[in-house]
Amino acid sequence: MAIIERPPSTEVATPATPSSSLGALKRPVSTTGWKSWVFTVDHKKLGIMYSATALFFFIVGGLEAVLIRLQLAAPNGKVLNADLYNQMFTMHATTMVFLFVMPMAAGLANYFIPLQIGARDVAFPRINAFGFWAFLFGGIFINLSWFMGGAADGGWFMYAPNSGPVFSPSHGIDFWTLGLQITGIASLTGAVNLITTVLNMRAPGMKLMRMPIFTWMQLVVQFLLLFAVPVITVALFLLSFQRNFGATFFDVASGADPLLWQHLFWIFGHPEVYILILPSFGVISEVLPVFSRKPLFGYPFVVFSGAAIGFVGWGVWAHHMFASGLGPVSVAVFSVATMAIAVPTGVKVVNWTMTLWGGKLEFTVAMKFAIGLIVLFTIGGLSGVTHSVAPSDTQQTDTYYIVAHFHYVLFGGAIFGLFSGFYYWWPKVFGKLLNEKLGTWNFWLMVIGMNMTFGPMHILGLQGQPRRMYVWTEQRAGEGFFNLGFWNTFASIGSLILTVGVLLFLINIVITARNGKIAPLDPWNARSLEWMTSNPPKEHNFDSIPTVSHLDEFFHRKYQEDANGQMVQVKTAEQVLKELEDNADAHIHMPSPSYWPIIIALGLPVIAFGMIYSIPISIVGGVIVLFGVYGWAIEPSTAPDDDFDPPTTTKDVVHVG
Amino acid sequence: MRRMLTVGVGLSTSLVLAGCATNAPQDTFQPKGPNAQMIDDLQKPVFAVAGIIGVIVTVAVLYAIYKFRDRGQPIPEQTHGKPALEITLTIIPALILTVVGVFTFRTVFDLAKTSDTEMIINVTGQQWWWEYDYPVQNEYGITQPIITSGQLVIPVGTKVMLRQTSRDVIHSYWIPALNGKRDAVPGRVHLNRIEADEPGIYAGQCTEFCGLSHANMRMEAVALSKADFAKWVAGQLKPYTPPAENTLAKEGEAVFVNQCARCHQVNGMKRADGTAIIAAPDESVVSGAAPNLSHLMSRNTFAGAMFDLLNTSCRKDVWDADSESFGAKYLQGVSEDCLNQSDLRGWLRNAPEMKPMYVNPELLSSTGGKYRGMPYLGLTESDIEKLVAYLLTLK
Amino acid sequence: MFSTGSKYFFGITLFGALSFAVYMLLIDESAIGATALLGAVAATALLTTLVLSTRDGEAGEAGVAATEDTPTSSMWPLITAAGFVILLAGTITTTAVFLLGVVVLLASLFEWTVLGWSERASSDKAYNASLRKRLLHPIEFPVISAVGLGVIIVAFSRITLAISKDAGAIAFIVIGLAVLGAGVLFSLRPNLKRGIVIGISTVGALGIVSAGIAGAGAGVRDELAEARSEGHYTHQDCGAEKSKYFDKLPLEVVSSTASVIATVEIVNGKLTARAQGIPGDQESITIPRSNPSSVMFVNKDQEEHRLVANLGTKVISGDVKEDVVLCTQMIADGAEQVLILNIPKPSMAGKPYTLTVPGLAGQSIEVIVP
Repeated sequence: MAIIERPPSTEVATPATPSSSLGALKRPVSTTGWKSWVFTVDHKKLGIMYSATALFFFIVGGLEAVLIRLQLAAPNGKVLNADLYNQMFTMHATTMVFLFVMPMAAGLANYFIPLQIGARDVAFPRINAFGFWAFLFGGIFINLSWFMGGAADGGWFMYAPNSGPVFSPSHGIDFWTLGLQITGIASLTGAVNLITTVLNMRAPGMKLMRMPIFTWMQLVVQFLLLFAVPVITVALFLLSFQRNFGATFFDVASGADPLLWQHLFWIFGHPEVYILILPSFGVISEVLPVFSRKPLFGYPFVVFSGAAIGFVGWGVWAHHMFASGLGPVSVAVFSVATMAIAVPTGVKVVNWTMTLWGGKLEFTVAMKFAIGLIVLFTIGGLSGVTHSVAPSDTQQTDTYYIVAHFHYVLFGGAIFGLFSGFYYWWPKVFGKLLNEKLGTWNFWLMVIGMNMTFGPMHILGLQGQPRRMYVWTEQRAGEGFFNLGFWNTFASIGSLILTVGVLLFLINIVITARNGKIAPLDPWNARSLEWMTSNPPKEHNFDSIPTVSHLDEFFHRKYQEDANGQMVQVKTAEQVLKELEDNADAHIHMPSPSYWPIIIALGLPVIAFGMIYSIPISIVGGVIVLFGVYGWAIEPSTAPDDDFDPPTTTKDVVHVG
Repeated sequence: MRRMLTVGVGLSTSLVLAGCATNAPQDTFQPKGPNAQMIDDLQKPVFAVAGIIGVIVTVAVLYAIYKFRDRGQPIPEQTHGKPALEITLTIIPALILTVVGVFTFRTVFDLAKTSDTEMIINVTGQQWWWEYDYPVQNEYGITQPIITSGQLVIPVGTKVMLRQTSRDVIHSYWIPALNGKRDAVPGRVHLNRIEADEPGIYAGQCTEFCGLSHANMRMEAVALSKADFAKWVAGQLKPYTPPAENTLAKEGEAVFVNQCARCHQVNGMKRADGTAIIAAPDESVVSGAAPNLSHLMSRNTFAGAMFDLLNTSCRKDVWDADSESFGAKYLQGVSEDCLNQSDLRGWLRNAPEMKPMYVNPELLSSTGGKYRGMPYLGLTESDIEKLVAYLLTLK
Repeated sequence: MFSTGSKYFFGITLFGALSFAVYMLLIDESAIGATALLGAVAATALLTTLVLSTRDGEAGEAGVAATEDTPTSSMWPLITAAGFVILLAGTITTTAVFLLGVVVLLASLFEWTVLGWSERASSDKAYNASLRKRLLHPIEFPVISAVGLGVIIVAFSRITLAISKDAGAIAFIVIGLAVLGAGVLFSLRPNLKRGIVIGISTVGALGIVSAGIAGAGAGVRDELAEARSEGHYTHQDCGAEKSKYFDKLPLEVVSSTASVIATVEIVNGKLTARAQGIPGDQESITIPRSNPSSVMFVNKDQEEHRLVANLGTKVISGDVKEDVVLCTQMIADGAEQVLILNIPKPSMAGKPYTLTVPGLAGQSIEVIVP
C-alpha cells in the first residue's frame, strides 16, 4: 500500500494519513483490524478472503450433499420432501461449482500468480477488490433465497421451459439467475485483471515458456472465463426477462425452441468444466515436481495440452445433449470431437506419471493428494471417454453413472488438487505448517469416503437408476443382497466418512492456527518464485524484482551442476533471499486501499432485489453503483506523494495510506 | 500405502463384479431388442478398453510410487522430457479413439434410420405421465385412433417408431432394454426407434428432470406377440358399455361424470340426452390434458405408472410369466380380485398426498389457477366405493 | 466527512425518497406526481454526491483557497443564455424544444457552478483546471459519448429506413469499412497530426448526421410505408389479401427451423401432407391434444396461396357459436410459412378438423386429435 521508500528494517511502520485527496471519502488508512481487510486492494489479502469465503461455501454445499445422501440412504426417504430435495440438488451443484471451486481457484490465482511471476500486485488492484466483493455478495444473494420462499429448484442446468414462471413459481430461480449474474461480473473482472497481469507484469527474463505451470493453467482458465461468462450472461438475461418481464424466449406457443437454452447453457457449461479442473491440474503440476525433485516432465507438452483443451473445449458442448434430439449428424460430430479432447487430457496424465518416474519421491500430504488426483481423475476421465460414445451415452446420460463420472473428475480431480494446494502453500500464506499426521488421516478418509460414495454410483447408473430423483423404490432396485438398495446405502455411508475427512481438515486448520509448527523459509525445497520471499510474503512481495533465467528459477539459484553433472546445493534459501534483500529497490509504490470497490459491489444485490420485488429498489441500487463509480473515477489508483502527511522526503519511512 | 491401495483396488473390483449380478429391471447391459443390442455391442468393448487403460495407469503410478520413493538416492537429473515418448503416447490413444469413433459414427446413423419403420406411435410427455396414441394403421387393425397412458403396448419383432413430444417441460423417454434415451421436447417431434424381441414387460423411467414429481414419472413397455397385439387392439376399440342399471357401478358412473369427466375422457360415454361427454382438461390443467381412462383396467398401472393397478401377487404373476404365457396373462387386465385396492382408494381419497404435485391453490397464481397434477377432490368414502366399482368396468 | 451542505442535501434526498414511497403506496402509483418526486430524488441525490465528492463546505477547508485572481474566460454564460432562449422558444412551439431548453439550461448551470467553485479552490490556475477535470470528466465523458453515439445511431437508422434493403446492406458495409479504415490508420500512424485526426472524424460524423437528416426528410421506403398503411404487421383475417408485401414474421419463428410435426405442400394444384417420421404422403395427420404443434406450409404452385385450418366451433355465449379458423398469410411460389396449431378438444367432439387451401376445391387434409 502506498509508498515504501526503503524496505522496512523493522516490523513497525509509521502510518501516514493522506491529507488532501479529492473525494467523498478520505482514503482508508488502517493497516490492522477489520478495516485493513474490508478496504484492502492487496492481492494477498483478497486471495485469502476469496479462499476463506469459498471454504465456507464448500461447507454449505457439503451439508447439502449430506442431506441428499441421507434422503437416498433408504427407499422412499423421508428426510426431505420432493420440493426441498429439488432445491437441495440444485443448490448443491450451484454452490460447489460457482461458490466453491471457481472462487477457490480464483483465490489461489490471486494470491500466487503475482508471486509466481515476480510482480508486486495485480494489474488492477481495485477491480480485484471489487471482484471479490461482487462474488461474496452474489453468493450470499443466491443463498438468501433459502429464507425467502425457497431456493432455485430447476437443477443447476436450469433447463427451459421448466425454469419458467409457470413451472417454478417461487422466487428461487430469480435469486439464482441474478446472483449468478453478480458472481459472473466477479469472474469477468477477475479474468481481465489476471490476463493483463500475466501478460504485462512478469519479472524481467520470465518468457511465457519460463512461466510456472500453475500460472499457465490459470491463464488458460482466465481466457476460458473471458469468453464463457458472456454466454451464460446472455442466457441468464433471457431467463430473467422471461421470468420477470413476461418475455417469451423459451415459450413454445410463441414459436420458441427450448433447445436454445440448452445450447447457450452448455456453450458456457462445457468450458466451465475446464475452468473448474485446469487450476487443479496447475497445482499438482507444481507439487509433483517439487516432491519428485525433478522438473515437470514435458513442460511444453503440458502447457500446450492445456491450451489445446482450452480451444477444443469450445467444440464439444453438445455432448451434454446427445439425448436431446439434435439429429445424427450433430451427434456424430460432437461425439468424435469429445473423443478428441480426451487426447490432450491423456497427455497430462502421462506427463504426471513420467514426472514421478525416476524421481526421489517424498510423500508429504500435498504429494499424496496430487497422486490421488492422478489416479482418481484417470478413473473419471476414462468413464468420460465411455460416454463420448454417443449411442452408449444415451443409455448412461442422466443416470448415476454420470454423477459418478463428474464426481471423480471434480472431487477426485478439482478438489483433490485444491487440497494438495492447501497443504503445499499453507506455510507460504500463514507461515505455519499444517499438521502432516492429521493431514494423512484427512487424505485417507477423503480417498476412502470419496470412493465409497461415488464408486457405487457407477453401478447404480449402469443398473438404471436415474439422477435427480428424490426417492428410489425397491421395485426397480433388482434382486439379491447387492441390489441397488445396498449400493445406495453404501454410498450414503461413504458420504459420512467423506464428511469426517473434510472435518479433519477444518480441525487441522484450527490446530495449526493455535499451535502449528512455524514454517522454515523453504519448507518443501521448492522450485518457483513464490518461495523466493518470506513466509508470509511482505506486503510488496519482493524487495527487489528477481531477474529470471530459468524455468524453476528458485531451484536453479539453489542448485547447480557440479563437474560430474550431478546436481548439488550451492546456496540455501536464506542466502538466495539475502541477495534479493541486499539489492532492495529504493522506491516501491504500492496501490492504495479504497472504499469504492465494496460500495459498488454493495449496489449490485440491491439492484437485483429490485428486479424481483419492486423496480424502485433497483433505482436505489443503481444510484449506489453510480455514486461508487463516480467516486472511483475521481480517485487516483495510487495516492500521489504529496497526498501524504508529512510528505515523503525522508528515507526509511514506510507510508501506508 | 501401496498395500492399502492394492487392497482398495482389489476390493472395489470385486464389489463391482458383485454389483452387476442384481438383475435390476432398468439394467443398461441387458438389451432385449435390436436397437439396445446395437448400443450394447458398441459399449461393451469401449468399457473393456477403458477399464484396461485405467488398470495400466493405476499400476504405473503405483509402481512409480514404490520404485522411486526417497531412499536417499541423489537428486535426479533435471530432464525436461523425451519428445519422442510424448508423441508416441499421444498417438496411441488417438488411434484407439479413432477406431472407437468409426464404430460410433456407424451406430449413430444406424440408430437414426427411419426408412424401415413398420409402426407409428405418438408419445406425448406431460407432468408427470406419458400419453400414447396410435394413429390409424389398418394393417394392425387400428381403424380408429387408440389413446392410452402408463403402458406402451407394442407387437414383438416390429420396428416401432415413437414420435415424441411434450406438452409442458422437457421429458425423456427411456426403456433401457429397448433403446437409449430420447428427450421429448415441447414444440419438437423427436423420433425414437424401439423393437422388442420377445413378449414381456420392460421398465423405464423419465430421465430429464421435469419438476416436482420427476422421480415418480415411470413407464412400462409391454411387448405382445402379433396375435396377442391384435387382440389388445380389438379390446381398445371396443365401444363403451355403460354399467347395468341399479348397480354400485352405475352410481359410480354418475360420480365419475360429476367429478372426473371434467378432465378425464372416457370415449363413448354419453349424457342422458345422447350427446357425447367431452372432457375439457384444458380448462383446469396447465398442460391441457389428463389421462384418457377409456380402458383403464386393461393397463396394469396408474398415476404415471407410479402405482400398480395389480396387487403384489397378481403383478408378480404377470411380470414373472414366461414369454409363452405372458400375453394371455397381460390381456386378462385387472379383475376385482387382483385390484390394488389400497393405492387406488388412497389416490381417489387424496392424490396430492400420494404423489407430489402442484395443486395447492396458494401456488397457482402464476398459472391462472390451473393445476399441474390431480387435485384433492374431497370425495366421500361411499363415493370412492362407487367409483372403484365403476372403474372396474372400464375394461 | 459529512459537511453541513452534504447533510442538508442528504436529508432532502431521504425525505424525497420517503415521500415518493408514501405517494406510491398510499396515493397513486402511476400519476405524474410519482415521476416528479422520483426526479427530485434523483436530482438531490446527484447534488449530495457532488457535495460529498468535493467535500464542499467542510469546516477545515472553508476560505483556505480563496483567491483574488481574475476569473478565466468562460463559454457557460453564453450557453446558459442560449438555453433560456431555447426554453422560451419551446413555450411557443413544441414541448420537445422546451425540454431541450431545460436540459441545456441545467447542464450549463451545473458546469458553471463547478467551474466557479474550482476557480476559488487555490491560487494555482493549472491546479484549479485539473481539479475541475477530475470532478467533471467522469460525468462529461459518458454523457457526451452517449449523446454522440445516440445521434449517430438515430441518423444511421434513418438512412437505412429510407434506402432499399439491398442498398442498406451496402451502406452498412461501406460505412463499417470506412470506420475500420480510419481506426487502422490512426493506430498505424500514432503520430498523425491532431488536426487531421479531428478533421477525418468530424467529416465522418457530419456525413452520417447530414445523410441521416436527409433520410428523415425523405421518409421510409415505399415497401415499409405501404406495409404500415395496410397494417401488415398485424395478423389478418383469412379472407382474400392481395398486397405484394406479405407478413414475413411467422416465417422467422425458431420452431419453423427446428422441428415441425407435419409439412403440407401444394404441388401443381395438389395438396399433400407429410408427417415427421412417417414415410410417404398422408391424407390425415395426427397431432396430440392441447399441444402447440407446428405445421409447415410450402407453396410450390404458380399462384399465391394460404393454408387455412378449420378447427371446429367454439361457444361464444349460450347457443351462439363461432367457427375457429386459423391461417397463414398468402405466400408466393417457393415460399413457406408455419402455422402453430393448439387444439384442446379431441376430434370426436364434433365435425372433423381440416386443413384446406382456398381455391383448391374438394381437397383437404384431415387433422385427427385423439
